[in-house]
Amino acid sequence: MRRALAGWAFATPFTVLFLVFMAVPVVASLVMSVTDLRSTDLRTPFAVEFVGLSNYTRMVDDAQFRRAALNTAVFVVVGVPLTMVVGLAAASALNSGLVKLRALFRVGFYLPVVTSIVALAVIWRFLLDPEAGLVNSALRLVGVEGPNWLGDSRLALPSIIAMAVWRNFGFLMVIFLAGLQAIPADLYESSRLDGAGRWAQFRYITVPMLRPTLLFGGVVTSIGYLQLFEEPLVMTRGGPLDSTLSVSYHIYNQFGFGNYGYAAAVSYVLFAVIVGLAALQFRLLGSRD
Amino acid sequence: MKRQRLAAAAFAAMLALAACGRDSGGEDTDTTAPVSEGKATGDITVWAMGTEGEKLAAFAQDFMTENPDAKVNVTAVPWDAAHQKIASAIAAKQTPDVSMVGTTWMGEFAATGALDPTPASVVDKAAFFSGAWDTTVVNGTSYGVPWYVETRLLYYRKDLAAKAGVTAPASWDEMTSFATAMRDKGGAKWGLNLQPGGTGSWQSFLPFAWSNGATLASGKDFTLDSPQMTEALAYYQSFFTNKLSPPTDLSLQGALEQSFINGTLAAFISGPWHVGLLNQQGGAGFKDKFAVAPMPRKQSATSFVGGSDLAVFKDAKNRDGAWKFVSWLSRPDVQVKWYKAVGDLPAVQRGWEDQSLSGDPILATFGEQLKDAKSPPAIPTWEQVAAVIDGEIEKVAKSGADPATATKAMQDRASGIGTGS
Repeated sequence: MRRALAGWAFATPFTVLFLVFMAVPVVASLVMSVTDLRSTDLRTPFAVEFVGLSNYTRMVDDAQFRRAALNTAVFVVVGVPLTMVVGLAAASALNSGLVKLRALFRVGFYLPVVTSIVALAVIWRFLLDPEAGLVNSALRLVGVEGPNWLGDSRLALPSIIAMAVWRNFGFLMVIFLAGLQAIPADLYESSRLDGAGRWAQFRYITVPMLRPTLLFGGVVTSIGYLQLFEEPLVMTRGGPLDSTLSVSYHIYNQFGFGNYGYAAAVSYVLFAVIVGLAALQFRLLGSRD
Repeated sequence: MKRQRLAAAAFAAMLALAACGRDSGGEDTDTTAPVSEGKATGDITVWAMGTEGEKLAAFAQDFMTENPDAKVNVTAVPWDAAHQKIASAIAAKQTPDVSMVGTTWMGEFAATGALDPTPASVVDKAAFFSGAWDTTVVNGTSYGVPWYVETRLLYYRKDLAAKAGVTAPASWDEMTSFATAMRDKGGAKWGLNLQPGGTGSWQSFLPFAWSNGATLASGKDFTLDSPQMTEALAYYQSFFTNKLSPPTDLSLQGALEQSFINGTLAAFISGPWHVGLLNQQGGAGFKDKFAVAPMPRKQSATSFVGGSDLAVFKDAKNRDGAWKFVSWLSRPDVQVKWYKAVGDLPAVQRGWEDQSLSGDPILATFGEQLKDAKSPPAIPTWEQVAAVIDGEIEKVAKSGADPATATKAMQDRASGIGTGS
């Protein structure tokens, strides 16, 4: 009895904090998403009306939301595999012993991950500047007039994807490297005795042994890419012509406009997509034994 | 901070429990209670953003000397956080007594019912520039007082104009030939910078619409697809199709000032803050190389008026003291002193009679332009409508969209958003 009381006493602070700062806001925002709450109702919240699912159906007609959803989908579908492949390639190279100065590369590739994304985005904005940017200056050296990377609605999203891949692959590289080093060396040894080449080793030993690591990497990267926000905010403000508007950015805008009910509804849709995608990945890549 | 979050959580919980029904209607009819006579007393809490937030505390010393029983407490709020902070304060009924409010936020905050209507005894409406006063008026009632103003003028390089053989343009036609000459004979790469869409480009476009006689709204209906609006947008677009204006936003890259100083850009439209920026970055002697001119005329030569207002909250603990402080800040002599301390231009017309403003040819031009300057309607949904306008301007400027289609789209989407009243 006394031990149970002590347990409760220790658990209470956390429980209270969790309820007040996590559970209540989550439930409240879910309720918010079925009301017409706007910033102009702030002083008279009891006058807010219940509007059922109309915030959810409104998304269908919202051209900007559709554009944001499409952009985010492109970002995930292109960005996630690209980041995974680059991360795995970098990890394999660092693990193979072909690369000298391993520690230097490891730190170098990992540095963008731990640097503030806002600082990186500002620097990339300068790099990609059509007139004075380093990228186009370098292209000019070889006689090519580079495009306006962030100002062209066809190139802005690919430019942001390139930046995101560059920033994020280091994280996966470190995770994959740990996974690679956990694979017992005798597996490779015995396969070599059986006459397996490098590709066969990669295909039949590395990938299956890495499956849980790849799953983790895939889920974490997908969630990160679905929440794309800071890069367009700093680099393009969602433009030009909404070509880099993401779902998160759309939510941010709608909260800014004071459409709290609608913004909450979009947040829940994004939440559902993230949960759904993670579940799908677990099913496809999860353990098969 | 913690209290605020708790309050926000409590508000959210309240909302979750509320069986929502809109039966109470507008809870209060806005009648103006008079403000007591005599000196201000008690604590007056004030929120202000940016430079104003930093400098107001020291400036308010004079007020406290005049009103020994009053104490002004200024909280400096970063601009980025200001809108959210005021909104949270309104929801929690924990507002300050007075806050600086961005002119385009007035409609939204007034619609919450949190702002105290301006008592007639406190300030004289006629003392202010009418375009600035209009930013405080929501549905016919004023909910604050303009504090300081800014308006937009044409900045141009005098030396390039002399080389190109042109003078400052007075009309739309002259503006086109001016920009063309600046580029073709003056040696600039771009004749005139106009914002090609993106956040805030409505401020750059609307002066052309107003000068052409267009209106934004009439009552509860938007009037964005008028022929005047379309014509203004087509004129705006012509600068991009004729390659007189750069297709990317120079200011977003932080390149506007440098382009102007090194002569690749011959002219741009901006507010008074650019005088200081150019003198600072251009180095010695640059101030003789540029001049400002009023907006070019079509039916009128209307510019955009921005700035900030001061509003008193209904939940203020010291309402009378708050209005007395606002009234003091609106005195012409105090407005001039504030200009000297911070550089904010007076919203009160008589402030401009002071030699420090009228004696400076550049500032005097701003003063003249303020007499013909407008603000967008003070409606709660303005920021949202503005974003729609920004998007359509971008399509017109960057991808050559048809101006008539663009104004039609502005009208349709703005009507979908509504005026919020």
